Amino acid sequence: MIGFIVKRLVAGIVLLLAVSIGTFFLAHAAISDPTAGLLGTTATPAQRAALSAKIGLDRPLMVQFWDWFGSAMAGDLGISWRNFQSVNKQIAIKLPVTLSVVAFATLITAIVGTIFGLIAGLRPDSLFDRIIKTVSVVLFALPGFWVSLVLVVWFAIQLKWFPAVGYVPPAQSLGGWLRSITLPAFSLALGAIVVVAEQLRNEVIAVNRQDYVRTLRSRGLSRGRVTLHILRNASPAALTVLAVMFVGLLSGAIVVEAIFSLPGIGQLTNASSQNGDIPILLGITVVSVVFVIIVNFLLDIALGWINPKVRVR
Amino acid sequence: MNQFRALAALSFVVATLGAGAAAIAQDAPTDLSIGNFLDVTSWDPSLADIGFDGPYLSAVYDPLVALDVTGKPIPVLATAWSYSDDFLTLTMDLRAGVTFSDGVAFDAQAAAANLNYLKAGARSGEAYLNVTGITVVDADTIEIALGERDDTMLYLMGLGRSYMASPAAIAAGTLVTAPVGSGPYLLDEGMSVAGSEYHFTKVAEHWDSATYPFQNITIFPIIDQAARHNAMLSGQINVNFADPLNLEQAKQMGWNITSGVSAWVGLQFVDHMGASLAPLGDVRVRQALNYAFDGAAILNSLGAGAGQVTNQVFPAGQKGNDPALNALYAFNLHKARALLAEAGYADGFDVSMPMSPIFALWQPVVDQTFRELGIRVIWDDMQMMDYQVNAPNYPMFVALVAMDNDPVATLARQVATQQWYNPAPQFAEVPELKALIEDALAAVGDEQVAKIAAANQKLTELAWWSVWYQADNTYYSIPEIAVTPVIGMMFPTLRSIQKTQ
Repeated sequence: MIGFIVKRLVAGIVLLLAVSIGTFFLAHAAISDPTAGLLGTTATPAQRAALSAKIGLDRPLMVQFWDWFGSAMAGDLGISWRNFQSVNKQIAIKLPVTLSVVAFATLITAIVGTIFGLIAGLRPDSLFDRIIKTVSVVLFALPGFWVSLVLVVWFAIQLKWFPAVGYVPPAQSLGGWLRSITLPAFSLALGAIVVVAEQLRNEVIAVNRQDYVRTLRSRGLSRGRVTLHILRNASPAALTVLAVMFVGLLSGAIVVEAIFSLPGIGQLTNASSQNGDIPILLGITVVSVVFVIIVNFLLDIALGWINPKVRVR
Repeated sequence: MNQFRALAALSFVVATLGAGAAAIAQDAPTDLSIGNFLDVTSWDPSLADIGFDGPYLSAVYDPLVALDVTGKPIPVLATAWSYSDDFLTLTMDLRAGVTFSDGVAFDAQAAAANLNYLKAGARSGEAYLNVTGITVVDADTIEIALGERDDTMLYLMGLGRSYMASPAAIAAGTLVTAPVGSGPYLLDEGMSVAGSEYHFTKVAEHWDSATYPFQNITIFPIIDQAARHNAMLSGQINVNFADPLNLEQAKQMGWNITSGVSAWVGLQFVDHMGASLAPLGDVRVRQALNYAFDGAAILNSLGAGAGQVTNQVFPAGQKGNDPALNALYAFNLHKARALLAEAGYADGFDVSMPMSPIFALWQPVVDQTFRELGIRVIWDDMQMMDYQVNAPNYPMFVALVAMDNDPVATLARQVATQQWYNPAPQFAEVPELKALIEDALAAVGDEQVAKIAAANQKLTELAWWSVWYQADNTYYSIPEIAVTPVIGMMFPTLRSIQKTQ
């Protein structure tokens, strides 16, 4: 198991290095003159030159890279070129917003997707299964932003149960926080629930047909315990999909943050790319990649725990 | 932008189905909740923008000078001012008894420190280009010395370039994230969430309390217009920077709808002399490019009809703009082709132009129109930031340029001074134009306005631009709140948002 973990860690570090290096040079190639975005069109050439010198843009690109890379490897992602505040601090403020929504959406997906997938899989072609299938097709076909708008119209505008826009930090009001992330989380989760439920349903059907399940039943195990066995053996595929969904939800959160005006990583990415604030963009990329690596790492650990055969890969 | 419009349209349909047509009854509001288009650029007045920063900055800062709805400077912290006979010294009397939120008193020393700071600012400095010195005369008087006459300075100060901050905060360098002004409201940092919502509470003893009738203010920066509209429908905001696509529903809801022209849309000609693109040096080619675009049709199809059809850069209905000139280039493709042929370009010509996502809305119009004229265009795609840097290097480009409600400022910014969209003002290379513009800038009062109008006529005849139309900014507010648009401000400052009862 230790060798398995070490292999995964090394692969993750290589991925992080490759993406960081690539992003650094791509960002500098894509944004030709960040001072234009940072200072606006009224700045004089002297003011722009002064800012360039202040943020080190006047140095050779490789020097800038090693400077940034060295700091980043030590955990310091630099300072924002826009307000000269720590990138670490700004990401630390925005990340909880995005993670709140994505984690809540993942939780909803896991619970609802598992329930629907299990029930549909245990009774294939039943009325419930057909309803789930139909709803899945419809939900999958609808654009995410459309679903978000419908949720807003009904639950924010009509019923006024939730705010249409905005975010309340949990430190300010726990109830307010939950209300502010509920609609965004459901918007994100609806599509993911369909995928997880469908995946689990198919696996449950397959596992349910296995000889050992029949044997368990013939030995008089209760329905609940048999179902637990089925779920454990069917869950790796659903777990994999859930992990992939989590990563997907992180990027999907950018759209949801726009629709619900949430001050998360998506909003920060958008603003920073418009302003030419490259350190923030690089910081977000590094943190996002770290999250992807962690999620995949945890998935591998979980799959290895559930199914020991995976560990020898 | 197309995605936003699609979202807006979908939102409209859904909201109409869901929300119904009935107007929502509102109590007289004690609080103001604004849906703004952008987050605050900076709390530091030297780095803040004029555009959408108006509500944020005007909450926490008092300016020396503000603008009334006609664009005329009005007193705020400067109670009176006068120019010397040679227009090279501006003397300002300052309000006494004003204190910044950190307890520091506002006086002439503070004003001078602020003006020096604003002059050095990358964004605010545009107002003080000709300032050579600021002198403290006494505790409540300052003198601003100018290297040359500058009739635009007071206007720009009023537009949002004269916000006074505590000198202590300026010295500490903390204004970027923590504003310290003497304004009518205080930023509630505990309740605010950067990038999402900013809460302000009223200053109990503000010297101009009556101008600010709301007890609490919240400003939500919401980029997505569908989200802003939904926030308005849900009652979360009561003033919205609106999209005209939602106009019908706004009427059904009984909201106040106000709008005013804000920017002109068309082709900016950089190379009037034909140095990099010979055809543009011929006035007949520029005129052809005026005849060839159907401004009314473009406004209706792409601008939801929210604007005014005019071929001038002076705001429609304001000083300098001459409605009689609007007929000068009535849409006529035949005439455009004839003029091109007359200039020796019957088969058109080749041109490279920049393009960025924000201008993609008009790209098909240009493509189609140029095709009709035989003009072959190669588009160089770039991001908006790069567009502003690189577009002036092209002989012409698609433009959406903000306008001013001051004829002198318009003449200066659109023609006579260097701007990002006008990197090398070329008026001086046309003797007749040079004489008219210099004459106008040297005049005063009504005579100056008349001479600016004459210069505008010549500029229009010379087809200095190809203006298709002027686009409106639109604001929705609940019936109990009235918003007065101010040309030059993408979002008006708080003094322009009042209770109706």
